[in-house]
Amino acid sequence: MEAGEDRPRVGVDEWVASHDDRLAERTGFAGLARKIDDRVPAWARLTLFAAVAATLPLWMGRGDLFAYGIFTLIYILLGLGLNVIVGNAGLLDLGYVALFGFGAYFYALLSSEHYGIHWPSAISIPVVVVSTALLGLVLGIPSRRLLGDYLAIVTLFFGQAFVVFVNAANPTVAGHGLTGGPNGIADIDPNDIFGYDLSSRTQQYYFILVVVLLVLIGLHFLSESRTGRAWRALREDPLAAEAMSMPVNRLKLMAFAFGAGIAGLAGCIFAAVLTAVTSGNFALPILITIYAVVILGGIGSLTGVVIGAIVINVSFQFLAPENPQQNARILFYAVIVLLLVLAVRPWWRLGIVLGGVAVLGVAAHAIAAAISPSWTSGAVVEGGRLAGVTSDWVIIPAGHERFANAAYIALVVLVLTLTRVHGWWRTALVIPTVYLSAIVWETSFVEQPAVARWILFGALLVFLMTVRPQGLLGTPRVEIV
Amino acid sequence: MDLPLAFNSELFVQLLVNGITLGSLYGLIALGYSMVYGILKLLNFAHGDVYMIGAFVGYGVLTLLGGPLSPNIAIAPLIVLMFLAAMLACGALGVVIERFAYRPLRDAPRIAPLISALGVSFFLQNSALLLFGAQFRSYDSFVLGSKNPEFFEPGPLTDPVFVVKHVNIQLVQVIVLATTASLMVALTLLVAKTRIGKAMRATSYDREGAAMMGIDTDRVIASTFFMGSLLAGAAGVMFGLLFSQVFHFMGFLAGLKGFTAAVVGGIGSIPGAMLGGLLVGLAEAFAAGYLGGRWADLTVFGILILVLLVRPSGLLGTRAIQKV
Amino acid sequence: MRKVPLFELKDVTKSFGGLTVADKLSLHVDEGEIVSLIGPNGAGKTTVFNLVTGIYRPDSGEIRFEGRNVVGLPPHKITQLGIARTFQTLRLFLNMTVKENVMAAAYGHTHSTVFEAIFRLPRARREEREIAHLAEEKLAFFGTRLVGYRMNQQAYNLSYANRRRLEIARAMATNPKLLLLDEPAAGMNPAETHELTELIGRLRSEADYTVLVIEHDMHVVEGISDRVVALDHGVKLCEGSFGEVCTNPLVIEAYLGLQGAA
Repeated sequence: MEAGEDRPRVGVDEWVASHDDRLAERTGFAGLARKIDDRVPAWARLTLFAAVAATLPLWMGRGDLFAYGIFTLIYILLGLGLNVIVGNAGLLDLGYVALFGFGAYFYALLSSEHYGIHWPSAISIPVVVVSTALLGLVLGIPSRRLLGDYLAIVTLFFGQAFVVFVNAANPTVAGHGLTGGPNGIADIDPNDIFGYDLSSRTQQYYFILVVVLLVLIGLHFLSESRTGRAWRALREDPLAAEAMSMPVNRLKLMAFAFGAGIAGLAGCIFAAVLTAVTSGNFALPILITIYAVVILGGIGSLTGVVIGAIVINVSFQFLAPENPQQNARILFYAVIVLLLVLAVRPWWRLGIVLGGVAVLGVAAHAIAAAISPSWTSGAVVEGGRLAGVTSDWVIIPAGHERFANAAYIALVVLVLTLTRVHGWWRTALVIPTVYLSAIVWETSFVEQPAVARWILFGALLVFLMTVRPQGLLGTPRVEIV
Repeated sequence: MDLPLAFNSELFVQLLVNGITLGSLYGLIALGYSMVYGILKLLNFAHGDVYMIGAFVGYGVLTLLGGPLSPNIAIAPLIVLMFLAAMLACGALGVVIERFAYRPLRDAPRIAPLISALGVSFFLQNSALLLFGAQFRSYDSFVLGSKNPEFFEPGPLTDPVFVVKHVNIQLVQVIVLATTASLMVALTLLVAKTRIGKAMRATSYDREGAAMMGIDTDRVIASTFFMGSLLAGAAGVMFGLLFSQVFHFMGFLAGLKGFTAAVVGGIGSIPGAMLGGLLVGLAEAFAAGYLGGRWADLTVFGILILVLLVRPSGLLGTRAIQKV
Repeated sequence: MRKVPLFELKDVTKSFGGLTVADKLSLHVDEGEIVSLIGPNGAGKTTVFNLVTGIYRPDSGEIRFEGRNVVGLPPHKITQLGIARTFQTLRLFLNMTVKENVMAAAYGHTHSTVFEAIFRLPRARREEREIAHLAEEKLAFFGTRLVGYRMNQQAYNLSYANRRRLEIARAMATNPKLLLLDEPAAGMNPAETHELTELIGRLRSEADYTVLVIEHDMHVVEGISDRVVALDHGVKLCEGSFGEVCTNPLVIEAYLGLQGAA
């Protein structure tokens, strides 16, 4: 680099070299996330994560620790395993959740009342992990002959076959249905450390945290090694990798085995923590959730998986049916406001939008009430702190079921239209869209939170892919199509 | 497992008929998958849910026109209307899905449209659940069009049209087979003889090249989705007529099997999709009949994996030769 | 006593359906030579490379490297034996950094296992240092163009000429004895071409590689070749020095047609 060059000359070496830095400066929130990933060294990020995570049991109740703490850690583990297969080796494994299920069921068979076998974890966990890794290896064998999409198909069907097998086939082995059919297997032993049972949530949490940290460390070193590089090369261009002395088939199998082993480990932990497993735990929606975890953070990035798991699991749990709806409602409105703040610039336009929504709401509510009291007499489900505002502002009819459905369809149409228009049209359309979404939330979503969860999740996936396929922490990849 | 002690020819024929009927359904669904994959190399996981919407639209039309127990018009035009409504609605839905969930991802890494498709699938399935609730809706096809539905007197749909070895082939099954056959023929002619068909074939070989030759690839792709979804809509109504029950989750398993059919037959091949559909339908029917219902699905999956391992490009598919 | 050639093809035939891309092809390269492979497009030159590196399997014939038959070996094994290639249409690992591209290719001659990597055992750490050093060394072969801050740039940021150089550097990292360069000068301007010609000479003189080059640019061919082999439609037309080959009527006919030969 020459001295005395103050202004970057477009097209010249230094300008090209600093391209990535300039990109990072521009993108707002994601840019910040990327900067953290790039500038903060790995060990510091790990320590920070460990420190924050270790404090959780100190201020979270048992129920929350289970849902928010333990489940997030399990999703991190699953995401890390899938990341090895998809992120590092670029292989599309749509049957991954079945490996998770296999690990869980196998652990359940080895450590429960089902057959009366109670192996200590020091034996059962390694056995399960190795077996799952072998199964993953077997699953990977077709990858020799099958190109990308076909591999996806075969693995997808393996995943489905697993669920059907466990659920319906349930062959009788040693006098007992092997997998317990639709009821699954219950009364599973907790994990134990050399005889000491981990039965309290706090104990389980710390155990799983340690496991996650160890796996993170191991994967980090693996990624920086010749195998990690070879996996990345394999993902880029398998033919070139093979020509450059890398045994592509063997590497693919290793990736499958590794990812599967981690899934098996997650399965052991999951089964022990839940003390029961059924096929429903390992169906397609869970697979997609794991994929979302990996993709949201940016495929291939360990930090990304951690962040993705946290974001997804926390949102999911917030919208869980068991959760008081007032929390979910607060989250919902908060997210809407946040989205508006991030998306609508400059601030005076934002003001117009927020003002317009408020005015529209009040006006519509008044008109509806004037038409007939039944239009606004519907109760706000579990009002909580916002009850007063919502019931006076949102149209919630009593007994007009068609209305709720019509509102929902109208909302979908409006959102789609929003993506197609620009400028002031868009700003104008945002106003009724926001109001409608409040209506839909209060009339349909709060009544069926589990369904709402999946609708939002599906919409999020589509939105995420169309807007930012590389995820939060990923860099836009150059791909040879 | 219940294995018949003696070869029961009546059972065999019944299963054969069931298998072919079911196979027609799967074949129609498979066509949609095949066509879209052929042109975009995209596995459209949302396709099964489009099929489900078709079944619901058919039910909606049925309800609008008086409901299965007291229809306002004669059964023949009623069924035609149901088909048309479902086909058009699904065709439109397919175009919308492509426009919003896939088109922005034309040049994105391969995993992106896949995940987007899964997102659309979740969205559709759960929207149906939200809008229609979890309970099954019924076409009541057993009594549909009958003079005394309250007395469970069977309607014309179950009337035997042919009898083979003591097995009735019902009107509804003939309708399904006839409709499938005509749709198949129409599609094959369209792809082989018309300009749009030629454009579709060109786009599937080389999208950029086709665009450079003046073909509006966006429109071609939209048409492909339209046609594929149209067929799925028809299949949805057929399912309702055959089995009566429609529910929000039906798209998942049917979609999966339709997908199996497309892959087994050779994805990207139209005759392959129908052949695959027949194979899957027959496999499922015979497995259910001879091995018991629990093994039916597994048998289908097993066949898929076997075919893929032995002949990765499917039965009628072509091997892609990579130029290095 | 006749020296055993480093590498030879003996009566190699390969067809794709009805198209014969190699027809009883025989050629050899002796150690320390620089041989050029020329011929019009579709002559089968890249096919030869693909056959040699194991990407295609010949229908019949032998391919010997250091006297040993390599037909049927998987490509990565052949590379590990000592044959490395570049691609006509560059196939870099675009999203990896320049240095990583080169380091990746060193896989074949390193041995530390996955477990050694995870637990950071001494052999793994040592090999990492050695691979990094090797990469820097190979990149330094190209002067200042691929070193310094460049090494940590993603490969997709590189200019075209630099990408070609990186491909060669990457192939060098496999520690080959024989380098196969597929149209290394394609798309380069005269200055870059000239530099490349010198580079290929240095590959032999400084790095002791034996080189087989596919090239269209006759200036390059003339500048580097000990021997030239001309192909057309999968058949060897002739071989010899540059002067002999390019005045051979068969060769002229292949390039320019009968009128040109007349």
